[in-house]
Formats: sequence, C-alpha cells, structure tokens
Amino acid sequence: MKIKLEQQWIEKLLGWPESGMGYQRVDLRLADGREVKDVPVFNAEEVEVPDEFAGVSIKDIQLHAA
Amino acid sequence: MLKLASNHADYLLSQPESGMGYQLVEVTFRSDKRPEAVIYEAKGVQATVPVARTQQAVVYNAELLLLDREQPLLKQAAYGSLLESAKNSAEWISELRFLPDARPSRQTAMAMESSGKYGKTTGPAKDAPPEKTKDGEVFKRFSAYSNDRRVTADGGLLPGTYATTEEDAKNVKTGKEAVARYALPNPTPASYVFTIRPHTDTVIQYGIVQPAYGQLGGGVEVIFTVGTQRNTVTGPLKIPDE
Repeated sequence: MKIKLEQQWIEKLLGWPESGMGYQRVDLRLADGREVKDVPVFNAEEVEVPDEFAGVSIKDIQLHAA
Repeated sequence: MLKLASNHADYLLSQPESGMGYQLVEVTFRSDKRPEAVIYEAKGVQATVPVARTQQAVVYNAELLLLDREQPLLKQAAYGSLLESAKNSAEWISELRFLPDARPSRQTAMAMESSGKYGKTTGPAKDAPPEKTKDGEVFKRFSAYSNDRRVTADGGLLPGTYATTEEDAKNVKTGKEAVARYALPNPTPASYVFTIRPHTDTVIQYGIVQPAYGQLGGGVEVIFTVGTQRNTVTGPLKIPDE
C-alpha cells in the first residue's frame, strides 16, 4: 500500500538524489519503534509499505544505503 | 587490471588521449611480480592467466589500466566495480609508457565498441564516472506524475535526478513500456515525458538500467549529478498509458 508523506518528509527527500527515474529507496523509522528497510518512495511524496504498516506515523526517513 | 597510482595518473594526464576517454600505453611489470591478466571478475572473485612482462594496455580516464586480454571485463562488470577491485599500479609496474602512434588491438576495439568507453553502457549510472554533456544533447524523463517534484519551480532538475537520452526514449511509446525499460518499481504508467536540454558541460553519469522489480531494464539511464540549470526542462508531454 502507498502512504502519502507529510510536507516535512517531502522536503527532506527532495534534498537527496534519486535511486532511479522517479523514485528513491529509503529506510523508515516508525513512531511505534518499528523500522521498515529499503522501500520505494515515488515522486518524493508516496511511500510503498507492506499492508501491516497501515495507519502508522513516520518518525524518520533516511536514504537507503545501497 | 590496475588502478593507477598518482604518479602514473599524473604522467598520463600530461599526455594526449588516444581516443575519447582512453590512452594506449605499454606497461612493463616489475621483475619481482608474476605478470597476469584478469580474465574473469565477479564480486571480488577473479580468474587470471599469466602474460608477458611487457604488454600493450588501455588506460581509461587516466585511472584504470586494462591489458588487451582484460578488455572483455568491460562487458562483464561495471566500470566502478572494476576500479574498486583493481590492484594498485605502484606495486606492479616498473614502467608505463604512452604510445602516441598506437591503435587499439582488434580485441580492445571490439570490447570498446560493445561496452562503451569505460564500460559506461554496461553498469548502472551510479557506478559510472562523471562526464560532461555535449552541445545540443537532449534528454527525456518519464514520470508517473505530471507534477514531477524533481523539476524545480524555475525549470531545472534537482541534483541526483535520473533521465534517459533522447535516442533511448525513442524506444518507448507508452507509459507501461517506460516502466519496463527503466525497471521502475512503481507500476503506474510513467506517461508524462519531460524534455531536458542542459547547458553544455553539465555534469552527467551514463549507464544501463539493470533488471529489477520484475522488469527487464536495459534502457540507457543518466544521472544529472548536480542537477540542471534553470529553464532547461520543458513539458510534460502525455503519451498513452499502454
């Protein structure tokens, strides 16, 4: 499922290079303490995560180190 | 396969190129070393064969030396990974001599033709050395979004933005074809096409899209390492989704 990102994350992502045309691969740290590694963000505004993460809020985003 | 030490690199930088991005040289190995050519390289695993102590070789970008026997490596591995696994020339070479009148051997010429200079057409763009755009070069960017956020308000591209060459884009007629050719993880058709006309000498890296996300890839990809100037991006033009 895709989650729309808040403006603060969009601005952070736009400061980083892409991983391919139109997307970046990132690691997410969630407010509940869980981490999601190496997921794609499209157009710096939508992140694709497994359905089990529906409704969670994001505490931090980092560009995934290849 | 050797990474040139600074004294060797400085020497070659003082000499003219033999062709765009490469120089033909004669290399003599140190007498205390067993000269060898790498004929296979993958993830740090190498196969080698012994060679004569004095050899003709090609140096790419004044940094990576490949013997004639090693030229096919350019088709097997990305330039960046070859450079990473190459040994330091200072420990292996007793003499390096630029050959001003030499021509590439048949094997070298074939490897260059099929792989592109310094392997740029075999590996991903992120592993390729930075180059500069030429006068009049045009690029295309396929996006699933008409409001592509990598395009700045003043009509440039942000640093680290990907695109493809105008020539490669001619292979793509629909947004779904773009998803396949550029191995995009977003299955939404990339049907919005932006045109990029960067200034001459804009920093760029060229490569080939690797298979990923169940897509074949195979298209040309470029990275505008430091972005592009204002008013260099137009569009988007909408192409059919499928």
